[in-house]
Amino acid sequence: MIRIDCNAAPTVNMVLTGVGGQGVLTLADMMARAAMFDGHNVRVGEIHGMAQRGGHVTCTVRIGPCATGPIVDPGTAQLILGFEPIETLREIQFVVPEGLVILNSHIQMPVAVSMGQIDYPKHELVLALIRKFTSKVLEFDALDVAKTAGGAGSLNMVLFGAAIASEITPISRSTALRSIHESFPGKFEEVNARAFTIGYSIAKDKLSY
Amino acid sequence: MLLLANEAIARGVLEAGVRLVALYPGTPSSEIGNNLTAMAPHLSNFYFEFSTNEKVAIEVAGAAAVAGVRSLMVCKGPGLNVAADPFLSLAYVGVRAGMVVLVADDPSMWSSQNENDSRFYALMANTPMLEPSDSSEAKSMLLQAYDISEQLELPVMFRTTTRVNHSRSPVELGSIRERPDKVQFVKDPFRFVPIPSVAYKRHPWLLGQMEKALKVSESTPLNFSSGTGSLGIITSGVAYNYAVEALSRMNIEAELLKLGLTNPVPEHMISEFLKRHTTVVVVEELEPFVETQTRRIAQLKRITVDILGKDQGYFPRTYEYTPRIVIEALSKILNRKTSIDWEAIDAKVREIPPLPPRPPLLCPGCPHRATYYAIRAATRGKAIYPSDIGCYTLSIAPPLETADILFDMGSSITTACGIAQVTGQDVVATIGDSTFFASGLPGIVDAVYNKHPICVVILDNRTTAMTGQQPHPGTGLTGMQEKVTPLDIADVCRGLGVQYVRIVRPFDSMVDLVAEVRQMVAWTRERKQPSVLVSREPCAILTAAERSRSEEPLQRYYVDTTECNGCRRCLTRYSCPAMYFDPESGRALIDETLCNMCGSCVAVCPQGAIRKGER
Repeated sequence: MIRIDCNAAPTVNMVLTGVGGQGVLTLADMMARAAMFDGHNVRVGEIHGMAQRGGHVTCTVRIGPCATGPIVDPGTAQLILGFEPIETLREIQFVVPEGLVILNSHIQMPVAVSMGQIDYPKHELVLALIRKFTSKVLEFDALDVAKTAGGAGSLNMVLFGAAIASEITPISRSTALRSIHESFPGKFEEVNARAFTIGYSIAKDKLSY
Repeated sequence: MLLLANEAIARGVLEAGVRLVALYPGTPSSEIGNNLTAMAPHLSNFYFEFSTNEKVAIEVAGAAAVAGVRSLMVCKGPGLNVAADPFLSLAYVGVRAGMVVLVADDPSMWSSQNENDSRFYALMANTPMLEPSDSSEAKSMLLQAYDISEQLELPVMFRTTTRVNHSRSPVELGSIRERPDKVQFVKDPFRFVPIPSVAYKRHPWLLGQMEKALKVSESTPLNFSSGTGSLGIITSGVAYNYAVEALSRMNIEAELLKLGLTNPVPEHMISEFLKRHTTVVVVEELEPFVETQTRRIAQLKRITVDILGKDQGYFPRTYEYTPRIVIEALSKILNRKTSIDWEAIDAKVREIPPLPPRPPLLCPGCPHRATYYAIRAATRGKAIYPSDIGCYTLSIAPPLETADILFDMGSSITTACGIAQVTGQDVVATIGDSTFFASGLPGIVDAVYNKHPICVVILDNRTTAMTGQQPHPGTGLTGMQEKVTPLDIADVCRGLGVQYVRIVRPFDSMVDLVAEVRQMVAWTRERKQPSVLVSREPCAILTAAERSRSEEPLQRYYVDTTECNGCRRCLTRYSCPAMYFDPESGRALIDETLCNMCGSCVAVCPQGAIRKGER
């Protein structure tokens, strides 16, 4: 039984949005574990449909004593971690006014676009629409960074680094690296830690606090 | 530990000393079985099976509990519909050791054909029911469910919802309970064989047990109230979290009654709660289950109180709830404004032009894509295509468009029978291998015996793909991870009397695949009998995993851009997610990171521009 005894202490709400196969679920799990290392209460929601591949995937991560359920309401997420431009725009309503959007600018074409049924919106338009919700948008090609680090599969770790650099979560850099160490045994740890570190420094350079 | 509720439930199985678990995989409950099958070979005195279907699973588990060991059956909402017949009888005869029937409902239908509220089965069957609200409760309440089951000698329904099953939250682990080895079945036919004269006596017994269950419900800590205030809120399941969050964010004083045991509801506790308030709001997802019970109690006890919920339209009966839904309803009831201007956010969202959709799709290298392409080509899109439950239902989307009717597991074959009888049109049904074993067999028997002129293509991808690669009777692997002789689908169909049974490998040759479908359609037209084509090729996810293990050099596929004329036929007719159109060059391209190297697109290109090997 859980009895919640809680005043309105701030809950850190994050929405991770991308395409199945990009590592959205893995990152949400790792962020929550990392927060738990430091003694925080967490909730993770995995919001995905029938198939695991190719479809839109959203995860929520909530950190704080008042985080009870996994759901994040529109207008309440301090951080949107966008793995793909239109998938970020699809969930932009969750951002708190002037919350931070970290956006991987690399496009993954939906099949409907390949089939010629609908055009992929121009990048300037995607950004302009996102900026209607918040002016704080940090964008870079995280897939390029991941490839530099050693593999496209470490895309989520690049974004992990950027998220930690934003200091929106209570997760420290060392705790995040510890969660990478514990999640990826052997050869993948090195690549993922490198991807995290580059993502971290890119975000540190671009964000000023 | 941070655990998915489904992982917490698997852990709960160990802590409760459950001896036998039987289930047919169904999302959102699938990870429970995945975790148990991984552990099963390493545990002593533990049996786990992926049963043929849910009816089988509840019978296997029910009998184990009658024999005297703790057992668990797990299913998704529609799975309990399949198991409803034995479930109702099981309540009549009761159990000797604890038994839990875990049903995972799916509000918002993330992966289901309906969002039926299974709680009504607990009312109909007269079984106690528990509803956890998160991972921690999913484990702790499972342990309590076994105690209640043994106290009352009744199976207990344990009802979760997607947002519980698929959420992670901290869970404290307890100690593991020992499991008994073999037990003796003690005969008591005049209890366990509900012939009419037995059932006649068992029904009053069952109602008597539910009287005892009511006493449990009144005194259990699973039902508790917290907080104070003139407003009263009654809630259950995952909605409890949203109610708590709403009160905290709105800074409202209220007394909250949380029901963890929702059948039978604690009548005295609720009536006392109603007496303490002038307004009581009921917050629960889907149907007004607790709400209706609350109204019943208010009427019975003649309590004057405003009970507000779905009946007055404050809350919806559809889809998952959110804190926002609760905050908006409470704001309306209390005549307040919400602190967040959601209407303004909604208005901004409406300004976003329609974005390219990104629905779930058949994977790159999925053998179903080739088979459906061939079915469509062979019948020129003019046949009727009854579909079934599995990944392949995704063939509903353009350009395959080969799903015309679907009710439930196994209905492809039987709906084909009905359509063929009254239309005279060609009917080509498709059903997956796991679904075929789960509920396709009676349909095949019906088609053979009654001579229904239908074509059945069995998509044999060697796994239960959609729920996460569980084995089934055609795979040669059991839930205990034991290697056994697989049942061959073609042999099964021949054994059931199908005169036309052929097997094809969909990736061998698209031309041959199309010819096979044409041939079976012609045969059925002429003979007025069912025909079966088994399209056998492992799921792309299995193939990809195999390849990454083998480390053989890869022969990649690529588009020869000098040959490609940009006609887009590969994209508009085949639409493999690994292919895309490059607007700069005006050519189709293959994304090497997504391509699963099945090669089936080669035959689709009229220019012969798709090649294999080094560029």
